[in-house]
Amino acid sequence: MVHINEDSYVNWIEQLCLSTWESVYRLIYFKVQNREEAEDITQETYVRAIPYLQKNRVPPDKQMAFLKTVALNIIRDRWRQHQRRGTTADLEAIAPKEVASEDPAEWSVQRIAIEKALNQLSKEQRTVIELRIIKGYSVAETARIMNKKETTIRVMQHRALQALNRILHDETK
Amino acid sequence: MHDNERRLSDYIDQLNAEKKPKEHEHSAADPELQELFHTVRLVRSLREPAMPERNFPAKLVRTVTDQLVPTKPKKKKRAWMASIVGIAAVLALSLLMHIVSLFDQPNIVKAMEKAFQDVNAYHGFLEIVETNAQGKTTTQAKLEIWADKQGRYYIQELEGSNKGLITVNNGQTKWQIHHSEKQVHRFSAFPDPYRFAFELGNEIKEIKQAVSTKTIGEEKAANRPSWVVEVTPQGGEPYRIWIDKETHLPLQKQYAMHHGIQYKITYTKIEWNDAIPEKLLAYHVPKGFQEINQNPEQIVANIGEVNEIIGFLPDVINQIPAGYVQDRIAIVPDKKLVKIYYRASNKEIVIIQGKATGKWKLAPNAMVGKIHQQTAEIQSPVVEEAGVLGAGGPYAGLTDLHSIRWRQNGFEYAVIGHADLEDLVAFTKELTNGAFEMPAKEEPSSSKPKVNVPVDLEQEKNDQKSVDAGSSPWKLDPVFVAQVFVSLQMSPEGITGDYPIRYEDLRIVQNNGKEAVVEVNADNAPIKRVYLKRLIRQDATGIWTVVGYDPAS
Repeated sequence: MVHINEDSYVNWIEQLCLSTWESVYRLIYFKVQNREEAEDITQETYVRAIPYLQKNRVPPDKQMAFLKTVALNIIRDRWRQHQRRGTTADLEAIAPKEVASEDPAEWSVQRIAIEKALNQLSKEQRTVIELRIIKGYSVAETARIMNKKETTIRVMQHRALQALNRILHDETK
Repeated sequence: MHDNERRLSDYIDQLNAEKKPKEHEHSAADPELQELFHTVRLVRSLREPAMPERNFPAKLVRTVTDQLVPTKPKKKKRAWMASIVGIAAVLALSLLMHIVSLFDQPNIVKAMEKAFQDVNAYHGFLEIVETNAQGKTTTQAKLEIWADKQGRYYIQELEGSNKGLITVNNGQTKWQIHHSEKQVHRFSAFPDPYRFAFELGNEIKEIKQAVSTKTIGEEKAANRPSWVVEVTPQGGEPYRIWIDKETHLPLQKQYAMHHGIQYKITYTKIEWNDAIPEKLLAYHVPKGFQEINQNPEQIVANIGEVNEIIGFLPDVINQIPAGYVQDRIAIVPDKKLVKIYYRASNKEIVIIQGKATGKWKLAPNAMVGKIHQQTAEIQSPVVEEAGVLGAGGPYAGLTDLHSIRWRQNGFEYAVIGHADLEDLVAFTKELTNGAFEMPAKEEPSSSKPKVNVPVDLEQEKNDQKSVDAGSSPWKLDPVFVAQVFVSLQMSPEGITGDYPIRYEDLRIVQNNGKEAVVEVNADNAPIKRVYLKRLIRQDATGIWTVVGYDPAS
């Protein structure tokens, strides 16, 4: 390993983080779907990846792909540790190689599959999922908009997700 | 089963709050539930990610460096252990430096910006006091205000001519509850021309863009020690603002005396919160009240529904510019328009799309961009609602609202928003596959007039002052200025009755906001092109002056 001076090492870290964090964060968020965890895993990704990148002198054009792979490994490690079933759906298993791609347009394959599945739900089921998950309304707000009781909304969203899960499974089989 | 329904709902709530669900830490026992959690995440991936706070990249660098560069903490430790007295001295010095630095003008703005970054929402009581030329003061209104960083607010007028009136904008819809008439008026949430005065985010933004800021003293406002800063805004009269010494946020604003009346607005009480209480932002019509819907828009769930109702599938952007998320899709059924809303912190952009109808015509004051050799209209700010803008909402005349409008493949599009023009350009480029071009800032070589027209700069300065005071507003319209110029060339003795050439005979061919070229399409006109410049001020308030022309022959 080549010894480099501390200041230039710090500068290099800074430059790497600032130029790449957004893509790395977006990928992680795509998987975990919450900001708190995405920020946490983004930090861990750099802490783990940087010593390797520096030691092996990974060229700049390969750094992003490497960072993304490390990020996905961290997510998978955490998943394995915390969940009994590592592969909860087929998309989870196939996602890494697609998602590790440089181009977020690749994600559109998954997007289309989900949109198609949503369209197979009943209108009411689709609405409850759109309001609660895509638009992010609370149960109370959704109940008001759909003119239903809050308990009904909870039942509806549970059934709608069960149906959606079935459709997604059928499609990936 | 009931327990699973509740847990699933809680899981969705955690993600909606952008928090790590506890199930990501400890495994959920039920495998079916785990699958459903995964499905929730899949569906949620259709949304744009919630991006971190602005200081996240800096925080990331700090955390990573602290963990990977081992000598750094050691150095810190030695320094901290050196002397307690030393630390105290450093702290005192840094505090002093901080106070001194606040008097350094750019730093006041920076300190305010920084302080506001940490604010998610606030709740305050606003008092508006009027003082006349004799010094007599009258309280005009007292308002209770809840506001957040996303531009949502709840305002109740506690005292004043509209006592009891409640105005709410929750980002999805805006409504006013008129207790006296037992009515709820519902409006479109964006654009919102009647926002409340002294909204902190806007106030700080205005100060940031001011021509100058000067600390002129210290005084208490709302019983809190404050700095008094004089702000000279762009194109307006100076005003004073009181900045709380402890929070670094504005507390009070005093406008210049105008026609013998001066207004002072004060937050008599203000506190910082995480969010506006949900119940205040939930749209409802109180029992016995009548709902009057003044919003022509109808929210739809997805693009497919747009097709069903208005008969075409709108274009959508592949990659939403960084920081923004898609907020909602709406249609205006009677105008057959679709509006897709995007939101970022304190910024909102809407893309309007409809079938192109009638002749394409640029707003006279617009800058002219290009898309595949076709013109694109850029208004910054919006002063005229042409084409789909006219059918979209009450946009014109709102400060800080910009737009880009163009036609492509039989459709007309407009990107409009309370955001930097650069953000609008990013959206437009996405929609046009990168074909959109802003006008060049420098004068193109093709824009040299064959005949130069001498200019009296002193006269122009006086004309600008007159226009600032409200006289001759036509000087802000380059087409009108060109029409007057050409008409006077044709009738040097003066114009009586109609102009010898019509306004419609002139067309803007170039305009970058500083320089413009107007083409004359009238057989009888002796001039083919008129060249204009904004000589005194290069923004929407600057007058246009003819600096040259090309003769017709």
